[in-house]
Amino acid sequence: MISMAPDMSNKKSSIIDLSNLQEQQIALRIKSLDLYYAEKQALENITMNIPKGQVTAFIGPSGCGKSTLLRCINRMNDLVDTCKIEGQILLHNQNIYDKSVDVASLRRKVGMVFQRPNPFPKSIYENVVYGLRLQGVKDRRVLDEVVENALRNAALWNEVKDRLHDSALGLSGGQQQRLVIARAIAIEPEVLLLDEPTSALDPISTLTIEELITELKNKYTVVIVTHNMQQAARVSDQTAFMYMGQLIEHADTNTLFTTPSKKKTEDYITGRYG
Amino acid sequence: MSSTSDNALKTESTRLLKDKVAKYGVTAGGIMVLCALLLIFFYLLYIVKPVFNAAEIESVTNIDELTQIYASVAVEEQNEIAFALTEKGLVDFYALTGNKAGQLILSEKIPAVSEITAFDASAPQKGLYGYINQQSELLIIKPDFRVTFPDDKRQLLPYISYPFGESTISLEADSLFTINKFSFATNEESIGLIHQHSDSKIYFTKLEGEENMFSEEIEWTANSTELTQISGNILHTLVSPDLSRAFIITTNQLYVFNTRDSSDVSLLYNVNLIANLNSNIQVTAANLLAGANSVIVGFSNGVLEQWFETNSDQGRDFVKVRQFELSGDAKGSSVQAIYPEFYRRTFLAATESGHINLFHTTSEAELWQGKLADGKIDSLAFSPRSNAVISIANNTLNISKVENEHPEVTWSGLWQEVWYEGYPEADYVWQSSSASDDFESKFSLVPISFGTLKAAMYAMLFAVPIGLSAAIYTAYFMAPNVRKFVKPTVEIMEALPTVILGFLAGLWLAPVIEDHLPGVVLLLILLPITIILTAFAWHNLPAKIKNTVPQGWDSIILLPVVVIVSYMAFSLSPLVEEWLFDGNTRLYITNELGINFDQRNSLIVGIAMGFAVIPTIFSIAEDAVFSVPKTLSNGSLALGATQWQTLVKVVLLTASPGIFSAVMMGLGRAVGETMIVLMATGNTPIMDWSIFEGMRTLSANIAVEMPESEVGSSHYRILFLAAFVLFIFTFVVNTIAEFVRQRLREKYSSL
Repeated sequence: MISMAPDMSNKKSSIIDLSNLQEQQIALRIKSLDLYYAEKQALENITMNIPKGQVTAFIGPSGCGKSTLLRCINRMNDLVDTCKIEGQILLHNQNIYDKSVDVASLRRKVGMVFQRPNPFPKSIYENVVYGLRLQGVKDRRVLDEVVENALRNAALWNEVKDRLHDSALGLSGGQQQRLVIARAIAIEPEVLLLDEPTSALDPISTLTIEELITELKNKYTVVIVTHNMQQAARVSDQTAFMYMGQLIEHADTNTLFTTPSKKKTEDYITGRYG
Repeated sequence: MSSTSDNALKTESTRLLKDKVAKYGVTAGGIMVLCALLLIFFYLLYIVKPVFNAAEIESVTNIDELTQIYASVAVEEQNEIAFALTEKGLVDFYALTGNKAGQLILSEKIPAVSEITAFDASAPQKGLYGYINQQSELLIIKPDFRVTFPDDKRQLLPYISYPFGESTISLEADSLFTINKFSFATNEESIGLIHQHSDSKIYFTKLEGEENMFSEEIEWTANSTELTQISGNILHTLVSPDLSRAFIITTNQLYVFNTRDSSDVSLLYNVNLIANLNSNIQVTAANLLAGANSVIVGFSNGVLEQWFETNSDQGRDFVKVRQFELSGDAKGSSVQAIYPEFYRRTFLAATESGHINLFHTTSEAELWQGKLADGKIDSLAFSPRSNAVISIANNTLNISKVENEHPEVTWSGLWQEVWYEGYPEADYVWQSSSASDDFESKFSLVPISFGTLKAAMYAMLFAVPIGLSAAIYTAYFMAPNVRKFVKPTVEIMEALPTVILGFLAGLWLAPVIEDHLPGVVLLLILLPITIILTAFAWHNLPAKIKNTVPQGWDSIILLPVVVIVSYMAFSLSPLVEEWLFDGNTRLYITNELGINFDQRNSLIVGIAMGFAVIPTIFSIAEDAVFSVPKTLSNGSLALGATQWQTLVKVVLLTASPGIFSAVMMGLGRAVGETMIVLMATGNTPIMDWSIFEGMRTLSANIAVEMPESEVGSSHYRILFLAAFVLFIFTFVVNTIAEFVRQRLREKYSSL
């Protein structure tokens, strides 16, 4: 674990008043969302707005539903047969759970990076262009350009530019995770979901990824799940604390970590449980 | 405190012991498996190896200073007694073993009525000798042996027997000239002769015996034809053992007469043997091979040619098939005589200087060359079991041991086209045995290897699409609680004894498919189409109806579809048959399309063996697809891929090593499978890709023929070679599979 004092200086400028967001400042609107796994309720009446161009962190103890909530945003929970969802998540004022929504195109707009690096057993190049190829892009020049941009944005270009056609499985864990991020941003999503992206990585790779996340928010809305509070403090602008399937508190990171308004939040961030 | 630490130490040591036992146990097991494999490998090689051994001829005994000049020599089956015959009717028996070895033990004078003018020996396997006297009367004798046991010791007593009676048979020749040369052959009750008279005229005579009902004596009638049209110096005359052909070989021509009908003897072929040769080359020797289908002709330049009658584009023809050349010191010297073996296609060619070369026609091999004696060989014969050769040269009788167990087998003969006797051209043929002793064995491993591959291919054509798609569906799309039942059920199919599958295929499926062929074809076309249509219709049903079926059970709705389509296909079968195939598909295919139709054909094998192979492919491929990490498919889905795109682009790619080994395991199984191909095909070793014809596979061939092959024979050893080839087949398939799988795994192994 890296012990690093939360560096708040770079965030001061982008503090947004969560309670008073303008329409154009909102990327996602979650409205009274309930989620059940079979009979068990995993999320209870979650309502929150996720601001555009910011890093929002979900924190909370294990099993609090933060990952589940994240997976709701690009409907990855659809893959779980017993999962049932009520409520709405609005992207561009459209409910993503509406029947008319095509899941594949939703996921193109809301990309996701998982806990463990999961590059496909293909070359680095093919990994990055995977999403574009799915959309039928064949132009070599377009693809080359996208690969370079995505890898540069993922801070991986300099390390792999000479071996783009080598297997992605030859990369180190941290590089693989950055490759997966590059793969996700190659299709230019609006929202990027990161599900504990550094939990399987060593401290140095973690640091690189964290730096990368701070870069990414200039272009994308980033939602990150982490159970590392320091990480949340370091990289996020907004933090949502969840506990037992409920959203306890959602505030800008500074406020939440220094002056939490709820007792449970304070207990958690001071290490009473979790 | 101390007791606990003792205990800890104790558990440590037992744990260590267990660890050691397990380690060495596993190692020993592995090594034993390897040893067993190597043992099989070397045992097969050990049995096969003698087939490729070179022939050996080694002199054993000489009997010197013979007092007579013998015209013919031979030895009885056990190589214990040799006998030699003079032209004037003396038969001398010499002991070769025992305390009288080397001594003359019996000398018989043939009671020919008057002066003998001609003598000839029959083909060796008959063991007959004929004499003709001045009155043109024929006497046929057979030196024979009686086994007696005086003092409980086996003893062979030689004697002369007269298979056609002790009295001479008149040829009723019109000619007043005496016969000075003749050759003959016999069957049950007739004798065929070609005889040359001192006026150079040559006749074919057929003597037919009939028993007089009153006197019980055999009365002979002769039917004689003069053979005209012959020019040149007659070198050799030959009569085939079935009396249907007479051959006359001059120094440049070969005449073949049809003598089947003795009242209508006609010239069939007149072949100029030296047409394409240098002008100074002549024919110097000729003889019939065992079986009497082939004539071997020797030339003055040391070349020997094999000729036989066969079908060609222009009808029956007498053709040159192959040629041999004397080698070593004898190279280029004139062939003086040709001596065939009793039953096999081996022959010896001797030169004036006594050099001999041993050849085998089928394998086109020169087996041995060397010398048994200095100087011209006066006469020579193989022993009946072909394990000795007896010869007379320079007044010395020599007996030599021959080791030549498998002359008919060569590596190239097994794998290349061979021109067998009577065939119109060189071909790959497997025909290991027949009723006759002097049958030319046809050992080509090509048709049965071909059959193995053909059977495997049709089985794979059936099994791979079904097995793989079932595996992919089960692993990737099926609901876990359905998969829980489906997977073990399919895997249990693997335990089904293949003999049952073969039995069902041969006795039930084959006639059903034969009767409903249009229905089966219809089913093969309709089933995939309706399945896809049903799936499409299901997909477009309103969600309300879809939701009544639990998730993942939707595939069950295909069951009634399959049943209905099958029923429809089979009930439409007669209509289609009536409409397209004139009411009888089988006749239509055979007569109109000209395609052979076997009831037990490759289609049956494909289905039955495919059925046996499906569980293997399914089980391994399903595991491979199922074990693709969810993180990979989720990663793909999160990038906006549909389930199908994820399957094709990520899951199958990652599972490819496993899928590949599934297919290869299936192939390995199909190649080695025995009972199904044995029972579901006609086991005809033909080479034809047609789906309506059967095949014979290596494994079925071994199963069919091993019980009837004589231990140690060429046939027996070649069956072991077939087993070895099968072993290599599976070994190669598995090695390639493992190699490719490793490469794929390196490339596509996931995390």
